[in-house]
Amino acid sequence: MEAWDIFYKQFITYHGYRDVLDGLLTTVEIAVLGLVIGILIGTLIAVVKVMPKASVFPKVIEKICDCYVAFFRGTPMVVQLLIGYFVIVPSLEISVSGLVVAIIIFGLNSGAYVSEIMRAGIQSVDRGQLEAGRAVGLPYSVAMMKIVIPQSVKNILPTLGNEFIVLIKETSIVSFIAVVDVTKAFRSIGDANYEYIIPYLMLAAIYLVLVLGITLLIRLLERRLKRDERKA
Amino acid sequence: MNERREKDVIISVQGLEKSFGKNNVLKGIDLDIRNGEIIAVIGPSGCGKSTLLRCLNCMEDPTGGSIYFEGEDLVDTKVDINKHREHIGMVFQQFNLFNNKTVMQNITLAPVYCGLKKIKATKRYNRTVKFKNIFRKIFGKAPLSQKAIEKDKTAVISEANSRAESLLKFIGLEDKANDYPSTLSGGQKQRIAIARAVAMNPKVMLFDEPTSALDPEMVGEVLDLMKELANNGMTMIVVTHEMGFAREVANRVIFLDEGIIAEEGTPTEVFGNPKSERLKTFLSKVL
Repeated sequence: MEAWDIFYKQFITYHGYRDVLDGLLTTVEIAVLGLVIGILIGTLIAVVKVMPKASVFPKVIEKICDCYVAFFRGTPMVVQLLIGYFVIVPSLEISVSGLVVAIIIFGLNSGAYVSEIMRAGIQSVDRGQLEAGRAVGLPYSVAMMKIVIPQSVKNILPTLGNEFIVLIKETSIVSFIAVVDVTKAFRSIGDANYEYIIPYLMLAAIYLVLVLGITLLIRLLERRLKRDERKA
Repeated sequence: MNERREKDVIISVQGLEKSFGKNNVLKGIDLDIRNGEIIAVIGPSGCGKSTLLRCLNCMEDPTGGSIYFEGEDLVDTKVDINKHREHIGMVFQQFNLFNNKTVMQNITLAPVYCGLKKIKATKRYNRTVKFKNIFRKIFGKAPLSQKAIEKDKTAVISEANSRAESLLKFIGLEDKANDYPSTLSGGQKQRIAIARAVAMNPKVMLFDEPTSALDPEMVGEVLDLMKELANNGMTMIVVTHEMGFAREVANRVIFLDEGIIAEEGTPTEVFGNPKSERLKTFLSKVL
């Protein structure tokens, strides 16, 4: 019971819960914005990759995209965060908070993964869909945006959900660049009295609840999209 | 007579070639398609029928020759192919209805997009005119006049919708307007695909084996719709295995073999009195 009393004192009496709530917000913020950036970048790269390439210019763009994907998939995210915060930001001589750096790095990192997911999704849509769109006079970009990509998103939604879950959990490393997320908040509570059992179990429970919530949301979304397809 | 014929030509294909890698599929096709003509393209599988059709709207980029449509060579990559595709309808073997759109949206998507594109182009033109007029005023020239926007956004959309409704009535599927393609039968899908192509008011329509993926009992409804289109004066090029349809509806039958037009003529000539040995053997197999 002693452990609980210590935790209670730290959590309620010394307002530890405020840090935890702030940290939770930071965690969700980084994961959600990171995913949004990731989907935008990933879709763009995926389209570049599946685009028919007649001239040299798109081929060059594709090579650049390949390098980007290779770098962000080939190095640990912690390293990317450290490089971003301690190398790139100081060398650009701008003042950016760690949170912004974290969001950008998470976005860039998930963009690399989402691009592959998206590419598979686009290729899973029958070629005839694109051809039919082009045949009625839609330009490639419009046929992609209005016909192919909406259908591919439906196919890859479970995988995208997976990516979101991975992102949520990976945010626990942002304390490397002095951002206080939910992990860091609980660690501080534990550090105050060297009493870690309850803070860390609680932390795990919070992540679990978050992930289960997301899983549920994705399933609902998926069912909605499928219903659109089936019935009028 | 000859001169009038020249005028009537909608698509003029000259020396069309297409190869996939080392595989030469089309080896120099010359073909004039005249207004109101219904051309049936027949031939053994792998002879390039579908490739020929798909080259006509540059779904496949030809590797040689030229295709003249409305005075422009579609093979030239500088030509805005999207503009011309609006006037060349295409119907696919696998229907290819947009699965994420309702029947209604399938039909209206392209007309609305193209209508809005025209509005945007006019607005852009008007902006440049405004800008140019500043300079013209300085140099004492008469100002350019702005183009009027004929239809606004709501007019474009409502027009597309009413046209789609009348087309659905024409094909007898007005009750399916808000359904998704996955709930429809093959014959219904193909009729809607035809309506989608017709909605753009095409000058010519390409049919790529429109009945080959259908259950036998649904072939009739699609062929009937195509006959009705033919009677309304639509120019059509039909790649088909339906020899009955070719014989009954077509004005001209083209027999394609090994990438060239091996024989062509009226249905009576081609079916009644085939000249080449190849056509004779082909017909003996399919008839």
